[in-house]
Amino acid sequence: MAVTMQELKVLPAFSRLSPLALEHIAGTAHYLPFAAGFAFYQQGDPPTGLFSLLSGQVKFYRHSKDKIQILYVLHEGSTFGAESLPNDMPSPCGAQALTPGTSIYLPPNELHKLLLEHPDLLFMQLELVTKQLRQFTSLVHSLAFRDVSARLAENLLKLKSYPTKDGFCIERTFSQQDLAAMVGSAREVVCRTLKKFEKEGVLRLERSSIIICDLNRLKEIADQEIR
Amino acid sequence: MAVTIEDLRSIPILAQTVPDDLDTLAELMVTRFYAPDELIFLEGNTPSGIWFILKGQVKIIKVGSGGRIQALCIASSGKCFGTCPLFNQNGNPANAQALTEVTLLMLPQEDLEYLMKNNIRLAWVLLKIYSQYLAQLARLSESLGSLSVSDRINDCLLHHAAHTDSQLVVSLTHEKLAELAGTVREVVSRHLSELAEQNVVQLEFGRIILLNPSALHLPCLAEKK
Repeated sequence: MAVTMQELKVLPAFSRLSPLALEHIAGTAHYLPFAAGFAFYQQGDPPTGLFSLLSGQVKFYRHSKDKIQILYVLHEGSTFGAESLPNDMPSPCGAQALTPGTSIYLPPNELHKLLLEHPDLLFMQLELVTKQLRQFTSLVHSLAFRDVSARLAENLLKLKSYPTKDGFCIERTFSQQDLAAMVGSAREVVCRTLKKFEKEGVLRLERSSIIICDLNRLKEIADQEIR
Repeated sequence: MAVTIEDLRSIPILAQTVPDDLDTLAELMVTRFYAPDELIFLEGNTPSGIWFILKGQVKIIKVGSGGRIQALCIASSGKCFGTCPLFNQNGNPANAQALTEVTLLMLPQEDLEYLMKNNIRLAWVLLKIYSQYLAQLARLSESLGSLSVSDRINDCLLHHAAHTDSQLVVSLTHEKLAELAGTVREVVSRHLSELAEQNVVQLEFGRIILLNPSALHLPCLAEKK
């Protein structure tokens, strides 16, 4: 099924593209439905094309030895991929689905061609890369200057949540192991810290969700730096 | 001092640039000199443009509220730094400071902005530059999040080693290594002494000679730089 221009326009990354660029993208892009656990690409893979999430969640990660560091989690509306396309290098990161969903996919050869034909698409790609650079710089900051409690709080605030009568609810689309890999710590430590937060009344742990009861306190914890 | 085409050709990422574009760049860029330790720009300040290193070394650092320093990278001649703040108004994401005497070429912000929108070849070069930064920062994030301090120091040693007189030499002080690896000087010194005892490195004044670099390799980080 062909991708429509209307559908592309709804995606934040594509919203400011010219009708001509959108038309060319729609002509070459296709739908990619995926299951939870689907590997979009792995660290070290040849340059990939561009993916835009219509639904679902994706983790962006790096690994070495047997450890994984999740760099960030992407939600619907996010566009990712093609990190190493301009330099024709192996992909610096991997991307794997946390939930099932659907993505629009623009393959690398077509993307390369379109980038050189449409200045506005190239500008959009620069915008995406710059945004990622900011995210990585702030991740380095947290890893270097914040302890596990602050980093866990920060990650909980970044995860998708919706308001309920008890507080903000984060559905557990991720495992404890994933959460540890986001925080850059061991699963046991993250588990212990979650229990400590629960005891202090900051949140409540349920089987399939985490309820944030005291959002302000969680924000305070997230802002604390190591002295 | 005017920027010459030869200056620009010495920057690897600009090597493939067509002569017309090099002329444009040479006309717009300005030369700047900095003394060792002098600040080039501060985190949070309005960015002045993108910088290319003609001579010397520059460190890009984040400073924690407790005063601790985490280096994002140490860049040498031929490299560039300074991200593109065009897309958000947060100012510079880190500090840049001269490590040695440095000569820099700077493309001012307004010109950068104009070229990005009007010269697709140069916008492509910029995309290449930022994609390289991205790979470097992804690697650093992983290293801080999931490697032990010893592994991080080893990784820094390998990453910053250069061949000098048929030897692999790291010309960084223990303090600089600590900033890069996200730890303190004492930990670096202790780890290096242990490596010296195992004959993996030889410590000399102001430099570290890698005698057995393969002993420093992490199995899965041994990817193409």
